[in-house]
Amino acid sequence: MNHIETPFCEDTIAKLRVGDVVSISGYIFCGRDAVLPRICKELEAGIWGKRCIDLQGGVIFHTAVSPAGVGPTSSNKLEIEGSFETLSKLGGIKMHLGKGAIRSETVKMLADNNAVFAIIPPVTALLESQTLERECVAWSELGMEALYRIKVENYQAIIAAAKGKSVYE
Amino acid sequence: MSSIIEKVADCLVRAGSTFREDQKEAYRRAIADEKMDSACWVMRQVLDNALVAEERRSPLCDDTGIPHLFLEVGPNKCVTGALLEEIKEGVRQGLRQLPGRPMAIKGDDYARIDQSGCLNEDSGALVPSPILIKPIDEDVLRLTVLMLGGGPAIRGITQRIFHKHSVDVVIDEIVNRAIPAVSQLGCSPCTLAIGIGRSQFEATSLMMEAMAKGDFGVQSDFEKRITEKVNESNTGPLGLGGKHSVLAVFAKIGPQRASGVRIVALRPCCCFEPRRANVELE
Repeated sequence: MNHIETPFCEDTIAKLRVGDVVSISGYIFCGRDAVLPRICKELEAGIWGKRCIDLQGGVIFHTAVSPAGVGPTSSNKLEIEGSFETLSKLGGIKMHLGKGAIRSETVKMLADNNAVFAIIPPVTALLESQTLERECVAWSELGMEALYRIKVENYQAIIAAAKGKSVYE
Repeated sequence: MSSIIEKVADCLVRAGSTFREDQKEAYRRAIADEKMDSACWVMRQVLDNALVAEERRSPLCDDTGIPHLFLEVGPNKCVTGALLEEIKEGVRQGLRQLPGRPMAIKGDDYARIDQSGCLNEDSGALVPSPILIKPIDEDVLRLTVLMLGGGPAIRGITQRIFHKHSVDVVIDEIVNRAIPAVSQLGCSPCTLAIGIGRSQFEATSLMMEAMAKGDFGVQSDFEKRITEKVNESNTGPLGLGGKHSVLAVFAKIGPQRASGVRIVALRPCCCFEPRRANVELE
């Protein structure tokens, strides 16, 4: 098991291979269909910096954050997979964390930006016991679909796409 | 709180937080039989999650699901409007206790479709689907609460199959539909719920009954054949490859029409489903 702490440096990500099981600790971001396109829009417009939320070296976990807990939604939904490129290129996100197969074009784009896609099992009860803090940081009107920052300890995930390769090939 | 409301609320919490023994055993068998490390890792995580959820009486998955109700009524039992209202209230209380994900959409028809009406923050505001009622020989009034998640609903298919007077044709078509559905779902290993009837309504009702009554340890020849064929796809847990894309099939075959067509409802239930529990109300 490879223990990694956020925010990730370029070297940490460069060492990851498809099939590696990692244990993630530190602060990560949570967002899904509703909020990810909004972040991309602000990054593309060059106004994201006004929010003072640093995404560099970060993780985006594709989940809602509700009293029921957290758990991955399908990352191949249009609004979610469509956010990968902007979040990595302009935001510096290094790990997209969710579930489901992603397109080969996305796998290549991740490699070009030294970023990875990791799959996390939908184990809400376990994840709840490993979640230490949660805070809504933007678009609170979206409720459970707002942008959250949570502090986690030992979230286990498997690297599903890295260096142009994917477990789905 | 009345006794019925309490029983229904407790039943809903159990449905959303607890694996049945046959379900745990199915995972243990699959883990022992699986060769791929990543597949074993996923299934161990799912089983560990179930043990933590059961101990804490907390949700198995953050998509806690939409409550679906299956009510079996014995010969001398009575269903009244008042009883149905108490069941509804029990669901509301159970959702607050679990807690269910607050995902009821507010607003008029258009606002509910395009989700512009915002979310209701009350977990209990999530109304259950219409109740399915079935008369049975056993003289009990038994409610089964099922919590149906969104992923399997997206990938579920209810459609006709032209059977060509061959069970093999029907099985092959079910398998052809199930393999991409399981792959796209992501949250495998799945349990395939299947209902075969004369109309979309009947097929779906039979599929619901299959989910309410199916047992991982008791599989018919029809069910085993589908499981084996889908597992040949090597999709595996979470799509990572392996022998166990599907743990079991729960199928219910109803009366059929004198015709060349069978209506088949198919739901790739996720790795936690069928999330269900039952309670005798009288």
